[in-house]
Amino acid sequence: MEQEKARTRLFIWLWTAFVVVLLYLPIACGALASFSKGRYFAFPIRAFTSEWWEKTVDSIEIGMIVQTSLLVAALVTVLSVVVAFFGALAFARYDWKGRRLFQKIVILPIFFPQPVLGLALLLWFSAVGVQTSWLTAVFAHLVWIVPVVTLVIAIQVYSFDPSLEEAAFDLGASRWQVMREVTLPILWPGIWSGALFAFLLSWGNFPLSLYTAGADSTVPKWLYSKMVAGYTPMVPALGTMSTLGAASALLLGGLVLWLLRRRAAA
Amino acid sequence: MTQEAAPKLPILQLVGVRKTFNDFVAVEKIDLDVIEGEFLTIVGPSGSGKTTLLRMLAGMDQPSEGNITLHGERINEVPPNKRPTCLVFQSLALFPHKSVGDNIEFPLKVRGVDAKARKARALELMRVVRLPESYHSKNVMKCSGGERQRVALARALAYDPEVLFFDEPLSAIDYKLKKVLEKELKDLHKETGKTFIYITHSLEEAMVMSDRIGVMRAGRLVQVGTPEQIYNHPVDRFVSEFVGEVNVIEVKKEQDGAPWRGIDVPGAFHVRPPEEDAEADHAFVVIRPEYLRFLGAGDTAQNSLKGTVYNEYSLGSRIQYQVRVGEKVMLVELSRSKALPIAADRSVTVGWDAADAITVRA
Repeated sequence: MEQEKARTRLFIWLWTAFVVVLLYLPIACGALASFSKGRYFAFPIRAFTSEWWEKTVDSIEIGMIVQTSLLVAALVTVLSVVVAFFGALAFARYDWKGRRLFQKIVILPIFFPQPVLGLALLLWFSAVGVQTSWLTAVFAHLVWIVPVVTLVIAIQVYSFDPSLEEAAFDLGASRWQVMREVTLPILWPGIWSGALFAFLLSWGNFPLSLYTAGADSTVPKWLYSKMVAGYTPMVPALGTMSTLGAASALLLGGLVLWLLRRRAAA
Repeated sequence: MTQEAAPKLPILQLVGVRKTFNDFVAVEKIDLDVIEGEFLTIVGPSGSGKTTLLRMLAGMDQPSEGNITLHGERINEVPPNKRPTCLVFQSLALFPHKSVGDNIEFPLKVRGVDAKARKARALELMRVVRLPESYHSKNVMKCSGGERQRVALARALAYDPEVLFFDEPLSAIDYKLKKVLEKELKDLHKETGKTFIYITHSLEEAMVMSDRIGVMRAGRLVQVGTPEQIYNHPVDRFVSEFVGEVNVIEVKKEQDGAPWRGIDVPGAFHVRPPEEDAEADHAFVVIRPEYLRFLGAGDTAQNSLKGTVYNEYSLGSRIQYQVRVGEKVMLVELSRSKALPIAADRSVTVGWDAADAITVRA
């Protein structure tokens, strides 16, 4: 019995280690490559330097690309949370004719292959005569991200007892007061998780941006184009920074979420 | 419908109120006057339409037909936040993200009362519902079931409604605490002088608290009356059975003045004609288990039946015997002090007088 337990523990350990190595070693390799003195991508790394990181930080071009990416992600976050909040209420709360169809249609874009979705949107933009730019990329991101955020918020809505709103209304609150005092505070953790999802998915999205950002570039798009032609260790450097940025956004978001939940339980 | 003689005006009036959901009739043509300051309980099995009725009174649903008036003014479409009424939900619907104090102060906050006055009123109400002052900042989710009841009650009182509605708030509370809270609620009704409308599926609960009881069945209000009227003068078999376990015998009148013939048990019985319809010739005789007695040698009763005792149950202070009479099971209840040493499967004779039984129309 004891032996069996020890064996199970060992197996769990080995498996966890295997998964961690599989998932994170490539990212670590990317980070290592960004410190290589050589211009070309080659292992083992012979000499280390922080030169490429400095160059990346100083580059005006990269600064603009990061700005575009941030702008796209921020806009996508705000718009998708607003749209998804009401969508989630319609999705999970109110019983209306066509709700089941709505639930299916809303979820579907998540499963579209993104390059196909990107291509379709590009064709559609040119058909209606819209010049592609970072703004059309925002729209493209929304098509894919709003469904995800809707689902995330809907999960919170499902656990929300609608009689709380009825009670507030019955106790004299106006519709707006019900929203501000009851609905929003209780759904807040879900909204925050949704916002975090929106930001990170937009920040890291490549296929949709490739097709629909036109002449504008985002971080993933730039990484790809430099990988294809004109590689320097600035590519892994920016890639690593982008990953670290996403990780810190996640950490910060998680911290806020934890505080929100703790305040709710206090 | 019997009403109290006191010269009190109806605060709420329902005239022909009907509610349908698509083809389903939830509430069917209800006429009811609610007297100001009374404790009225609507009782009925689940699905009888009592919650729908309450939701219409609170303004959360609108009647499909008929009128609801408050102080003589039609309020069918007035939303809940504009009515001087407040509902205590079955789930209590306490705001989980707010403290006890913030829950109670909610109706004052949305009305724009300043923080200091709000807190003073909350503490005052907490005294009324017997919550310690230190609970003001306590997380409402960390309160026990009984404490939550009190918070919900205090919050409803903070709204200062003229009429308070209760949707089975005690259904999830254990028996002992329920008894305590029932009494407190009755005291609170006396102290506040407000009109209470309470719904429950438990007639026992209704009997303890109410001035009047309305019995609902399949969307209809079958009988409205004082607890005494409901208990001793039920209008039909449904109401009589709702009051508790009863013995029911179906009888037919064959000739005026002669004993009635039993249909589901053989024999002829002395029966009082039904109160609701003295001319009826087909009726149910309802005998409560405590009015049925065992007849020993030399004992007499107007009516009697022979049977076999096959089971006995202890009901605390009373003992219930199950007696098989042909195909039927009759229940006899004796107080423990008078319990007979009756062995199982013993032949017995049970009897009752016509005056101890209730006759209702079939």
